Amino acid sequence: MSFEPKIIAFCCHWCSYAAADLAGAARMQYPHNVRIIRLMCSGMMHPEFVLDALSQGADGVMVLGCHLDECRYREGNYRALDRSDMVVELLEDFGYEPERFNLTWVSSQESDKFVKAVTEMTARIKKLGPANGIQG
Amino acid sequence: MTLSEVTDIAGRAGNFTVTVKEAPRYVDMEKCIGCGDCTEKCPKQIDSEYDAETVKRRAIYVKYLQAVPLKYQIDPEACIRLQNTGTCGACEEVCDAGAINFDDTEKIHRIDVGAVVLAPGFEVFDPTDSGVWGYGTFPNVITSLQFERYLSASGSAKGYLVRPSDSKAVKKIAFLQCVGSRDENLCGNGYCSSVCCMSAIKEAVIAKEHSPGLQTSIFYMDMRTHGKEFDQYMECARETSGVRFVRCRVNGVEEDGTCDDLRLSYINEEGLQVEEVYDMVVLSVGLQTPKHALELAHNADIKLTGDNFAATSDFAPVQTSRAGIFTCGSFAGPKNISQSVTSGSAAAAAVSDLLASARFELSVGASFPDEKDVSADESRIGVFLCHCGSNIAGVVDVEALEEYTATLPDVVYVEQNLFSCSQDSQDMIVERIQEQNLNRIVVAACSPRTHEPLFRKTLKAAGLNEYLVEMANIRNQNSWVHTADPDAATSKAKDLVRMAVARVTCSDSLKSISVPITQKGLVIGGGTAGMIAALNMAEQGFEVHLVEKTDILGGNALNLKHTWSGQHVPTEVAKLVDKVVWHEKIVVHREFEVTAAEGFVGNFKSTLTRRDGLKRTIEHGAGIIATGAEQYIPQEYNYESITRVVTSVQFDKLYELNEVHVRRAKNFVFIQCVGSREENNMYCSKVCCTHSVQSAIGLKKENPNRNVYILYRDMRTYGQREALYKQARKLGIVFINYELHGKPNVIENGQVIDVEVWDHILHRPLKLEADMVILAIAIRPMSDASTLSKLYKVPLGSDGFFQEAHAKFRPVDFSVDGMFVAGLAHFPKSIEESVSQALAASSRAVTLLSKKEVSLDGVTAIVDEQNCDGCALCVDVCPYNAITLVDRIADDPDAGILIRVNKAQCKGCGICQGSCPKRGVHIAGFTMEQISAQIRAALAV
Amino acid sequence: MAVTTALEWLGSCSGCEIAILNIGEDLLPLITETLDIVHAPLLMDHKYFGQCGEGVTLEIPDAVIGIVTGCVNNREHLEVLQEMRTKCKVLVALGTCATHGGIPALMNGQDQQESWEGIFTTVSTDPGAGVPDVEVPPPLDRVYACDEKVRIDMQLPGCPPNPEFIAEVIVSLAEGRDPILPSKSVCDTCLAKREGKGTVDKVKRFIENVEFEPGAPIEEMRCLLEQGYMCMGPVTAAGCAKRGVPGCISARVPCRGCFGPVRKGGNQLLDMMNGLVSNGIDYKSVVDRRSILRFTGAHGRLRPVKKRVAKEKN
Ligand SMILES: Cc1cc2nc3c(=O)[nH]c(=O)nc-3n(C[C@H](O)[C@H](O)[C@H](O)COP(=O)(O)OP(=O)(O)OC[C@H]3O[C@@H](n4cnc5c(N)ncnc54)[C@H](O)[C@@H]3O)c2cc1C
Ligand code: SF4
Ligand code: SF4
Ligand code: SF4
Ligand code: SF4
Ligand code: SF4
Ligand code: FES
Repeated sequence: MSFEPKIIAFCCHWCSYAAADLAGAARMQYPHNVRIIRLMCSGMMHPEFVLDALSQGADGVMVLGCHLDECRYREGNYRALDRSDMVVELLEDFGYEPERFNLTWVSSQESDKFVKAVTEMTARIKKLGPANGIQG
Repeated sequence: MTLSEVTDIAGRAGNFTVTVKEAPRYVDMEKCIGCGDCTEKCPKQIDSEYDAETVKRRAIYVKYLQAVPLKYQIDPEACIRLQNTGTCGACEEVCDAGAINFDDTEKIHRIDVGAVVLAPGFEVFDPTDSGVWGYGTFPNVITSLQFERYLSASGSAKGYLVRPSDSKAVKKIAFLQCVGSRDENLCGNGYCSSVCCMSAIKEAVIAKEHSPGLQTSIFYMDMRTHGKEFDQYMECARETSGVRFVRCRVNGVEEDGTCDDLRLSYINEEGLQVEEVYDMVVLSVGLQTPKHALELAHNADIKLTGDNFAATSDFAPVQTSRAGIFTCGSFAGPKNISQSVTSGSAAAAAVSDLLASARFELSVGASFPDEKDVSADESRIGVFLCHCGSNIAGVVDVEALEEYTATLPDVVYVEQNLFSCSQDSQDMIVERIQEQNLNRIVVAACSPRTHEPLFRKTLKAAGLNEYLVEMANIRNQNSWVHTADPDAATSKAKDLVRMAVARVTCSDSLKSISVPITQKGLVIGGGTAGMIAALNMAEQGFEVHLVEKTDILGGNALNLKHTWSGQHVPTEVAKLVDKVVWHEKIVVHREFEVTAAEGFVGNFKSTLTRRDGLKRTIEHGAGIIATGAEQYIPQEYNYESITRVVTSVQFDKLYELNEVHVRRAKNFVFIQCVGSREENNMYCSKVCCTHSVQSAIGLKKENPNRNVYILYRDMRTYGQREALYKQARKLGIVFINYELHGKPNVIENGQVIDVEVWDHILHRPLKLEADMVILAIAIRPMSDASTLSKLYKVPLGSDGFFQEAHAKFRPVDFSVDGMFVAGLAHFPKSIEESVSQALAASSRAVTLLSKKEVSLDGVTAIVDEQNCDGCALCVDVCPYNAITLVDRIADDPDAGILIRVNKAQCKGCGICQGSCPKRGVHIAGFTMEQISAQIRAALAV
Repeated sequence: MAVTTALEWLGSCSGCEIAILNIGEDLLPLITETLDIVHAPLLMDHKYFGQCGEGVTLEIPDAVIGIVTGCVNNREHLEVLQEMRTKCKVLVALGTCATHGGIPALMNGQDQQESWEGIFTTVSTDPGAGVPDVEVPPPLDRVYACDEKVRIDMQLPGCPPNPEFIAEVIVSLAEGRDPILPSKSVCDTCLAKREGKGTVDKVKRFIENVEFEPGAPIEEMRCLLEQGYMCMGPVTAAGCAKRGVPGCISARVPCRGCFGPVRKGGNQLLDMMNGLVSNGIDYKSVVDRRSILRFTGAHGRLRPVKKRVAKEKN
């Protein structure tokens, strides 16, 4: 059987989660590998969750937030951006390919951008293969 | 009420009877769940008006998918069945919700109201009839509205820039401004639509981002980017994005041979005839009052201006000519989004003023049973699986899902519903909660963004805390997007339900807390804006404290003579001051300034200090900053050394006094944009163009032998002010355009003043011999604005004016709750706009003050005292300064410290939670445990 | 009645044993009355294979309490640890090496083969010498904390652990109650003045002294992290404080993290870096960030850096 990765996507309630809803309303089709967890803001995302997810069998983690300067809470997505730069480097320290993490800005109207982001991420992880759990 | 129309308004202010005709929709709003199955099956295709005729829509349709609530409707003209009973009916067959009703009929309603607000909006000018610039003949000439659809992903071209005629990739686009505006020959719309310049720039920039290498040129007469931060945007478009701006009048657009390209001819700034070839031409079409709005105005018996907009006064910009009937939005003159939102709130303020005595008489609160405490009980989870007609059940194997769900830990009850959101399902869920003694609920259906509020109410009705429900989004994010793969969709649905169950297991009951409110307002600044706001609040029954730094009320308006429409400012201001000073609810604090402030929404405490040191403390629930602005004192044009070079404000005084220099002068030169729209002050002062034109008209009318010149960069007589510009030209006032790099030179030469400037029409330098030079000076932010900014933690923008929470949608709110802004303090604007903004600010403040307490959302940060040890990593990350460090035990520093979250300030963003290494703080409803549980559940199998 | 107790040391430096001795006067009643020590290689002569080497299998006497220090680094450590687990009712991991790998687990950050060759075949070793395969017990593939190999009932980190809490653990076990141990971070026990970390934009290297008034109490010194130094207080378990101030901070030196993470499974590297970036502090200014795991390299945290170049080729 071909490799079907599991990807966890943390979506901001105000933007990307709405974009995902809109993609549904427009009946856009995209790979079924992504499981969305709704957060109120991308700034709510604790980097711990990235490692948690990877060590429990996720093959990729995404964070999707509002465009810079459009965060409902002013600077949440800037925090997410800073953290993501850091996480990408730390993933290597902990033995994961940095490509397993992705941060994308998607407004509530950009259903196409949402679909593109998850489709590309799925393809990227398929190419990368399964993540080797943290103990491995 | 939708699809409805007002046919008559009878009665008087406070006591109207409005007749409303409601057209049949043929779809039951209660039953329609917005699935769109009907549209898919409808065989009839017609052009969509929303997509500006670039795509087709069906006879049963929604205007746009983002509409809330999402309800379909049938276009009776297009519907095959409605035109011909016994045919088609495809939608009725597929609609599982049974929402289609072909027998729907027109209804007439009579409604008794105290006040009426007319906001019928505008329509865009349709160039079809005039066929201007080849529109309708050449397929690649489209309107700006069509172009916007083209750019947007939901439109037909899917975001790629290809042109309509032959799908060729577009490399060069020309935007032609003022189509259907500022042009009485073509369409009779002499006014300026005031929004098209900005939207053309935006479209050009976005188009360039879409397709790199795209060339965009904007052909214009004047770039009217007079809004807040608009000039900065234009500069950025020019410098960074490389949008080309061409000042000219285009002579013609023709097709270039047979290849559908378009040839533009125009006269360039050097005076030469030029031809350029473009792939596509976009017409920036103007706004106009639609026919139905004219009928409405007629039915409502209100006066219109010559430009067909509702006639209003500058000091009451939302009041129509008929008492009790108000207006807002572009019905009262062209407006952009932020101005429309502002005027909407202003209309609300005016209405509440009128109806103040009746407040709350009608509103009734829903009542719910007492809440059961389930914190100590074991989880008993009920899961309701929605079919959503065939929307979910058509793809997901709901039987298998039910079987699986029943095996999940703590799940004691599972049931399928055809539509979980229908009223009978709601009642059923309430029943099940009670009979099965459920204490946590999962609804696997559509999106929590749209339906969570509904199910929260259901839980409340069953006596459960509303936060104990969780939705699994198995429609929008599953069945709808994996239609072709039912197996995958079913297994994903299981995952999603498992995640929701895991999450709800860790959910706690949350209380939305409430804080009492001091029902008083504070207005800082006693100019027009401040006085209007204070008066409106006071008229609605709230005590207001008005703080004015100087010893006189009135502010900048004291220097003005006429509004653009000719109202006498001193008279109006005097009336206003009178009302304010004598109002029993208003306390005026002259010669006071705010020197200290503490507290938060509903509970501010501000300290006022007089110059002699006298202090007063005011407690208030809301605050409005209306501290206005200052006049720029010119450093340029030898203002300091030549006595007959004066500022516009000084000139008005001299003119009024009939001062000898003015009386004797024959040649007057006005210079525009003095201190505006240049480096460091890249903003337009907005009022000066109109102001100079008005002064010039006055001079010329008084004595037609005078020579009056206006040296300008762009003439920004926006909206209906354009009529003044036209009148000025008719009177023979000479307008000479200059560019930033070729500013005029002003030199004293004996008895006269030489003004040298490059003449772009004659293409040679020009020397004017002036007797008097009038500088249209900029409006500068208050030099001490930063003091208030720090006191109330309200931000200043890069230009030094106060920064609103959201430029478009929250134009008078600050990001700090309970504080609002109005007038020049926010940005340069005319009196009429200051008044509108002041009313809007008052309306927002009153909305807050009219409650005895503010209830705050349960989703806020909660400190876990077991875990937090006051390491202070989270203190500065909070964007709302809601976190402070306190002693764990008051006055016992040895017991250590921890953080405290001010619930009134916290917005629940969770940035603090994302920073803490120790789970010392969590967001109720989004705790680390809940998120971890979801991750674990997502990956378990 | 005294409780039978066995002590063992694995890959350790004996600092923890010294910490036990540092319990001081209170130690006497503990070892004479409370405990009946049946096995303790450091203190008494008790051999694994019988007193005269007559045994064939490694044997440790039965005990109610077992205390192990040090990490699991080689096969011998593993065997001893497993025997302790079998013979002791309650097994306590004492010291950061036992709980999180400690200093020896720094080795996990390097390629083991290379390290061993480096140790045994440098210029200063005998010419022609190789990695020994007799007398030195064969190494495990990496350095482990005790709980990665056997079930551990109680963890007491510290490098060295705080004698006060060692005593508390022993007494509580003897009394059959839960010990009262600190559960928060070093900051909880720190008195330095805190306001927020927002003013720092880069972390400074600790090559100049922190700012403080000599002689003035810690309360008057600004938090070291807020002074821009990499103080690991926020992400390090409390426990080192004696006389009310954490060890390093009392010496006006930033915390190095020797008690390991605050929460079980916590990740000092990630948490510290997150604390910095969330406050807008440039994480790139941290020199050798992996050294944040200097005490907690076990549990797969510290691992050799992958050679990315090689990977990209295929
Ligand atoms: C040079 C110039 C020309 C203009 N020309 C026109 C025109 O032709 N047509 C037109 O429609 N509009 C024009 N305007 C704009 C018009 O004046 C304003 O829109 C209108 O007066 C509303 O102003 P305001 O109440 O917001 O501010 P202001 O009139 O500036 O009033 C602000 C008040 O707040 C007080 N204040 C300031 N700081 C504090 C403080 N810290 N504490 C307490 N009080 C404080 C000030 O003393 C002042 O009384 C012009 C403005 C300027 C400056
Ligand atoms: S003169 Fe004033 S209104 Fe006209 S463009 Fe310049 S700054 Fe804007
Ligand atoms: S909540 Fe966390 S980050 Fe904030 S002070 Fe407490 S322990 Fe430190
Ligand atoms: S949730 Fe956001 S607003 Fe609330 S305290 Fe935390 S950081 Fe501040
Ligand atoms: S970061 Fe260091 S100095 Fe600051 S409070 Fe914590 S332990 Fe003390
Ligand atoms: S301050 Fe930190 S490094 Fe120093 S002894 Fe305490 S825990 Fe260990
Ligand atoms: S609100 Fe969407 S990222 Fe902050």
